[in-house]
Amino acid sequence: MIGTAFVQGVGTSSFGRQPGVGAPLLAQQAVGEALADAGVDDVRDIDAVFAGTVFGAPGTAQRMLQLLGVTGVPVLTFENACATSTTALHEARQSVLSGRFERVLCLGVETMTLHFAGPITPEHTDAEGRAGLALPGVYAMVASRYEHLYGLEPKALAAVAVKNRRHGALNPRAQHGAEVTAEQVLASRMVADPLTLLQCCDISDAATAAVIGRGRGVDRDVPIAASALRSGELWDHRSTHPWGYELMARVAGEAWHEAGIGPGDVDLFEVHDAFTIGEITATEALGIAEPGGGGDLVLSGHTALGGRQPVNPSGGLLSRGHPLGATGLAQIAEAVWQLRGEAGQRQVEGARIAAVETMGGGTAGIDGNGCVVVVLGG
Amino acid sequence: MSTTDQTTEPVDDPRPGFTDGPDGGSVTGWRCTACRHPVAQLVLYCPVCRSPVAESAFAPTGEVWASTCLRVRVPGRTPPFAVAYLVLDDGPRVLVHTQGDHPQPPGSRARVTGVADTGDLVAEPEQEELS
Repeated sequence: MIGTAFVQGVGTSSFGRQPGVGAPLLAQQAVGEALADAGVDDVRDIDAVFAGTVFGAPGTAQRMLQLLGVTGVPVLTFENACATSTTALHEARQSVLSGRFERVLCLGVETMTLHFAGPITPEHTDAEGRAGLALPGVYAMVASRYEHLYGLEPKALAAVAVKNRRHGALNPRAQHGAEVTAEQVLASRMVADPLTLLQCCDISDAATAAVIGRGRGVDRDVPIAASALRSGELWDHRSTHPWGYELMARVAGEAWHEAGIGPGDVDLFEVHDAFTIGEITATEALGIAEPGGGGDLVLSGHTALGGRQPVNPSGGLLSRGHPLGATGLAQIAEAVWQLRGEAGQRQVEGARIAAVETMGGGTAGIDGNGCVVVVLGG
Repeated sequence: MSTTDQTTEPVDDPRPGFTDGPDGGSVTGWRCTACRHPVAQLVLYCPVCRSPVAESAFAPTGEVWASTCLRVRVPGRTPPFAVAYLVLDDGPRVLVHTQGDHPQPPGSRARVTGVADTGDLVAEPEQEELS
């Protein structure tokens, strides 16, 4: 076993609704940047590719890679809902640690506008999807349950959107780079009570990439201190917590244990804010706040840039948009830039440790399709 | 989220069923013959203990666990439509559609009254909730 795996390079395409740009071109943008960032001049130095896409056609990864000249190596394609490309990274890290591969290219891609004009269509082979429970409804149910258990002020939900859009305004890659006010957030069109339009991430077309490898004595390489991955347990009449909370908490606990640190040691977080309530429950599951304390946490400024522990300094999914299979590595890229001090105006001063959490869902009866928590730096 | 060809109807409808009856009817599903775990979706074995399951009828009444009203376009539905998770008194938690566009609050009581034309379980507030 190798002691530590490192992120040697990251890259992304542009983010946004770009229906005229196909997956191969998006991938070339992301992979080209990641390879250059890693200082990998020859693609023959890539031993394997771990790709991720949720809605891509069979062969999507190979179709992109042949145009990059990345051929003849093992190519594995992962699907784990929103956590797809962080799952690929988790598995790439394990492969490097085990010695199976020396250097793995991770690639996430999604062309959402090819499939959807608006919200993702619920899966009709799923009991709740067949009943019309689209993903905004899933998270609205989280908010409903959370409000029943702890109370939930609309201003707390709005504060997440305001904060992340403020952060996104500092991110030139963000799909939505304009700041919004709490009044605008709450006055925007209701999507699924109590979640308004500006509390929901947009769909996006994008690709993201990361090069994972062994230590090579390069200062810019970022160590992966821990990563954990699980799918949800049965989530049924016995469950009292909102959807996803217990899965996120379990995975986070494993990641903290492996890293030998706690959430208080982390300088910044990138978490899955597909909907505002998702960030509130994630901050609690990660242990930044006690259960029921996530609203006060964001209202206090603790999680804003300039606060004690910024959450989603990139602007999160609410600003960047959500190209499902590419989102996880976009979070990883932001963490890497932050830890290198390359995040520009949104730089978290003195950042040494970052944590990334990605939560994927869409299957009725379990507490999430998959959740990944990655700890970087240290 | 959808990855399947929605032009083809699946053979099995994964949603729980409902049987009318003089006592108000019942939600149909399965219950483990060993640990009594209730399941609303077709299973061959208990997902908790792997023992055999038997068809079961559950009381149509229960407590709302969470709820919302969807106001976006969803294929086959006309927004707005309200839904709720309902924990049946002696059974599983099921997703139900409720009337109007005001979600029925968590903690309140509801009764499943049947199945809509869309195939969804439909529930309404229990009588005492209406008074």
